Amino acid sequence: MRDFIKSTRFKVLLAFLAFLVGIMVYAVTKGGYSVSGASFINTVTKPFRIASNGISSKMEHTVDKLSNADKYFEENQRLKEKIGELNAQLTDYDAIKAEVEELRKFVTIKETHDDYILSQPCGVISYVTNDPFKSFTIDKGKADGILVNCPVVTAEGLVGITVEVSEHISTVRTILSPDLSVAAVASSSGADQGIIEGSILASENGQTRLIHVPKKNKLKRGDLMITSGSSGLFPKDYPIGTIQNIGFDSNGLSVCADIQPCVDPSRLTSVIVIIDFSGKKEDGDED
Amino acid sequence: MKIRTTREQRIFRFKTTLRWVMYYLLIFISFIIMTSGTWYKPIILVPLALGIAINNNIYASALTGAVCGYLIDIACGKLFGFNAVILTFFCIAVNLLFELYLRDRFINYIILTTIVSYIQCRLDYKFFYQIWGYENVGRIFARVTLRVWIYTVISAVFVYLILKLVNRLLMPKEHLTIEEAINTNLQAENRR
Repeated sequence: MRDFIKSTRFKVLLAFLAFLVGIMVYAVTKGGYSVSGASFINTVTKPFRIASNGISSKMEHTVDKLSNADKYFEENQRLKEKIGELNAQLTDYDAIKAEVEELRKFVTIKETHDDYILSQPCGVISYVTNDPFKSFTIDKGKADGILVNCPVVTAEGLVGITVEVSEHISTVRTILSPDLSVAAVASSSGADQGIIEGSILASENGQTRLIHVPKKNKLKRGDLMITSGSSGLFPKDYPIGTIQNIGFDSNGLSVCADIQPCVDPSRLTSVIVIIDFSGKKEDGDED
Repeated sequence: MKIRTTREQRIFRFKTTLRWVMYYLLIFISFIIMTSGTWYKPIILVPLALGIAINNNIYASALTGAVCGYLIDIACGKLFGFNAVILTFFCIAVNLLFELYLRDRFINYIILTTIVSYIQCRLDYKFFYQIWGYENVGRIFARVTLRVWIYTVISAVFVYLILKLVNRLLMPKEHLTIEEAINTNLQAENRR
């Protein structure tokens, strides 16, 4: 071992390790933009990741059906009754129809918010491996006008924000993550404000948390929380989720609540990125 | 030294090239598996990089460790280079351990993989969750980190079998002359 430490190859390997550390430090300074090596690998592996993700999601659906058969059976019965009550006959939608429907929803975003500059619909390529907060990558990037810190949405509600952008791929942090805070306000009163921020416990149930709400408030279960737009990161009045349970923060000084997001971030197939909107805080803007 | 014939040299080069192509194909497939679906999955690239480091030269092991580490960083959305540094270091260490002290046995491989993947998971948990002081952060360790670690150790069994198969088919056998064997023994004794 002593011989090895004195040897040239030890010095070469040490220099190699130092080089890797250097790249890591360089990556830190990039402020969310991918290092060109990562960007290249992302671009090369993109088609394979899309294909394998398609296969694995089909496999997951099949295994899920088998393992939760009882649960689904009960749910099925309940749904059948509901369908009977409503005399609904819409059961089968083929993939193209669903896609058209989805695109139509995206068009409604533009119609209702004409100040938004939207990206093209972005396909979800894959979820970040072993991330408890369901971050995911989309198939659009810098080349499509997407920047770091752009809000990511569906027609139903806010999904998250872009945190790392490559040439053709971006990573999205969802509202389940404790690293993302969104200023929110109750749509019913327009006055009860708070911060929506993910938590580890809530994310296990696919929920997020509303915190720092003043004790005097009119919030109630079922209220819809929307973005307040005060931070300049998110557009104003975009739906986030509905209130489930209301309680007190651990310090007892403010109120908190569990929020069921309007969109389930773990089952997304496509999203839209809001590239620009009125009131957006630019990088150079002061707080 | 035994002088190889031209044909032997050609076979040696062909097998070595094919073996490395197979290694990197396995790395690529592992990366694709890791980025598919929404379930918790093993970090297959860790046992794979270590398995490759056992039987190959130290520079190639270090490079493979770096490549696998970078791919883990991309798949898991971690700081670019974080896992590359960890895995390069451990690939070098494992290569040296097997060169100097350990024999190429399954039990040695699985023990080292268990230790290294635990350290990798633990460092990941430490730097990406624990130091940020999230509420109930221990749940991440219990429900995600440990689970991923166990999956990784289980996957190491299959990775070992696949690598064993690749090595059996494509690892060129070292031919020693009697003279070489005696010299090697003498050198080892002198070292002691």
